Amino acid sequence: MPTDTLNSTEASAMPDRGMPDRGLRSNGMRDLGPADMARFRQIERTFLEASAAAGYREVRTPTIEPLHLYTAAGTLSPQALDRVYSFLDWDGWSGERVVLRPDATVAVARWYGEQGGQQGAASEARVSYVQPVYRFAAEGNREVWQCGVELFGVSAPTADTELLLLAKDTLGAIGITDVTCDLAHAGLVRAAFAAAGLNATEQFEAYDRMLDGDASVTADLVATHPQGAAALRVLSEVDGTSVGYVANLRAAMLPVMPEAAGALDELEAAARALEVAGVPFRLRAGTARSFEYYSGLTFRFSAAGRDCVSGGRYDGLAETIGGVAAPGCGWAADILGLAAILGDGVLG
Amino acid sequence: MAANEPRAVRVALPRGDLRTPVADRLRAASFIVEGYGEGSRSYRFEVNDIPGVQVRVFSDEDIPIQVALGHYDFGIASRMWIDELLVRFPNDSIVPLRRLDIEGDTLVAAGAPGSTLEGLASAGVMRVATEYPNIAQHYLTRLRVPDYRLYEVWAQAEAWPPEDAELAICTASAARKEGLAVLDEVHRGGVWLIANREALATRDLSAALGPLVSLPGSSEWGGIVEPDRLDVRRAAPRAVEERTAFRIAVPDGHAQRHTVTALAQAGIAFEGYEEGRADRHPVSSDPEVIVKVMRPQDMPRAVALGHFDLAMTGRDWLRAFTASFPAAPVVELCDLKRSKYRMGGVITEDLEVETIEEAIAIWRKDDPERPIRVASEYASLADEYARSRHLGKYRVIPISGASEGFVPEDAEILIEGTETGSTLRANRLRMIDVIMESTNCVIGAVERPSGRRGELRDQFVERLAAAAETAEQVTG
Repeated sequence: MPTDTLNSTEASAMPDRGMPDRGLRSNGMRDLGPADMARFRQIERTFLEASAAAGYREVRTPTIEPLHLYTAAGTLSPQALDRVYSFLDWDGWSGERVVLRPDATVAVARWYGEQGGQQGAASEARVSYVQPVYRFAAEGNREVWQCGVELFGVSAPTADTELLLLAKDTLGAIGITDVTCDLAHAGLVRAAFAAAGLNATEQFEAYDRMLDGDASVTADLVATHPQGAAALRVLSEVDGTSVGYVANLRAAMLPVMPEAAGALDELEAAARALEVAGVPFRLRAGTARSFEYYSGLTFRFSAAGRDCVSGGRYDGLAETIGGVAAPGCGWAADILGLAAILGDGVLG
Repeated sequence: MAANEPRAVRVALPRGDLRTPVADRLRAASFIVEGYGEGSRSYRFEVNDIPGVQVRVFSDEDIPIQVALGHYDFGIASRMWIDELLVRFPNDSIVPLRRLDIEGDTLVAAGAPGSTLEGLASAGVMRVATEYPNIAQHYLTRLRVPDYRLYEVWAQAEAWPPEDAELAICTASAARKEGLAVLDEVHRGGVWLIANREALATRDLSAALGPLVSLPGSSEWGGIVEPDRLDVRRAAPRAVEERTAFRIAVPDGHAQRHTVTALAQAGIAFEGYEEGRADRHPVSSDPEVIVKVMRPQDMPRAVALGHFDLAMTGRDWLRAFTASFPAAPVVELCDLKRSKYRMGGVITEDLEVETIEEAIAIWRKDDPERPIRVASEYASLADEYARSRHLGKYRVIPISGASEGFVPEDAEILIEGTETGSTLRANRLRMIDVIMESTNCVIGAVERPSGRRGELRDQFVERLAAAAETAEQVTG
């Protein structure tokens, strides 16, 4: 899962944004000394034990993947693709570019799709991983070590709830207990676009604008769909903090955007699960994440003012990249970010 | 230069087609670069009545990187080459100051007449030839082509569709000349005055900036055109039928004369491929043989891709290609023994050393960490050279021409070819290290094709090799 907004806190020394002349270490890369590695392994071990106890088995995918795995619509956004490390391999005369794995979920979905292809049908699979992803960042780390889980073959809301609680329990086992969670749902945004009369291409464009942080999208939607103004404003301008907000959304949206019903059900189920688990949450129903593959619930846990786990549902992904059609969802955490939240100075 | 003497203001100007219109406008703005615009072969000029300003002529595409690196304070270059750099390596070191009133070409996506982008993208992997790989990748990413292969060619991308690629991203004028249909606009050109940000911020450049900003401008912006994205899903791989025709590629440009002669001595002639004439598709008297004219630099890739059974190119281009892609299935089949020259490391004549190691020791005398700059049109060979000679910290500067002007100011070493050494001597350069001796040659696939194509390949190679041997004996 992506951790694009997680703080990859431990910024490397970056004295020079111009020529790559920084001594012996590449820009955006960092060393981990013995104390750092001890902390890293401790977090990794705790994560693997917690996920294994929940039935998740570890996998590892290659560092180098074909670029085309990530270029189809519904995988990475053009903005994310601008930041991948792509290059021609030694046998790249065929014009096929490769990338340093920019995102673990797509790679694991490819692995799952290939397994499913061999078995001839989508099957239930719980997998975990610990591996780095590589993305250009003007400042901060360009190599981010992620630990994450993916759950294939189980639909919402059952799988969403399982993952939310696993995230909370894993963070607790690591020692991060004072967490909050932001929830959103890609289906609500898409229902709003459809209700505003945007065709498929226009929906993509509007979504791209949202991914770019263009706040004028809502105003444009209101202008083209005035009867949905109240619903759009409740959706985009109010952050809910209780299940009651979902009821309000339902009342405002369903008369004008009936196709949002399923997404609202899933959002409510997730909110109720967090309420029962005692995790404070915010419902930011209209926010978008900069990954196109999200199809349903998206969530982000934070602690001590820093993001620590993020994830969501991506039901179309495995099929988009050429595998079997299967529901999927998952989350990931930046291991160094988790260490920084623990705040003991190691890896800080 | 004395330690406290200010560095000269350095201006990079384009050669080629832009030289005349740029020179005209500079003259009108009282920025008179004596000799520039008159076809001079010099690379460096002074500016009349403006002391402390130096002008250097580069290939258009090399100017943005020279300004970005801070080697030059100002540059005038086509917007498409500026964006080709910035779209891949976004940084804030280049400040586009203004668009000049000089028309630039437009980049387009072009394909066979009757084709559509949606149709091409939905039919399987889309093969795209281009000289602008960074702009092309940006475009294809935003177009949301599910799967594509990008052929980064040296020149004439428009020659690849429809038989060797589905799409070319090339200039509109080249596409139309080739008879391709323009399917989309990718980049609106224009010619821009650019500056290095740090130089503007820290030094007094007003002696040059004053006249340069008075150059007549254009209010049009130009730049990358964001495409309307396609709604296309990944398709099954394109069905590939085994080619039955025997295809041979022959070069245009400098290599054409030697190739025409080599063919003639082997008793081979193609209608439309003679000295002074190179149709895109010359005609063989043998209907089984299909001939295509393309740049020799791109032939190793085209053969490796399986598009051609034979190609007549230079050993230097084959070596440059295999340095990047050692597993590519392309080999030399016979030496045509023409167009002989040496390729190697070139340094300034002023350095009194015998070996490259001695030269490195001098360059690093005061700063052991100093990176050695290696400029070359053959970037992969330059990289290979730097590794094999253990240069330590080095930078390869890919260039596209005007190469003799780089050493010593803009690079320590130039990887360059020379036939007699006279051009090097004229520029106070000398070759200190020979990498290879190159001649033109015939290349083909590692694996001999079966059937009739294999027979034809054997026949062509046998005749060309025999003729080359005979010609060498005659000329001694």
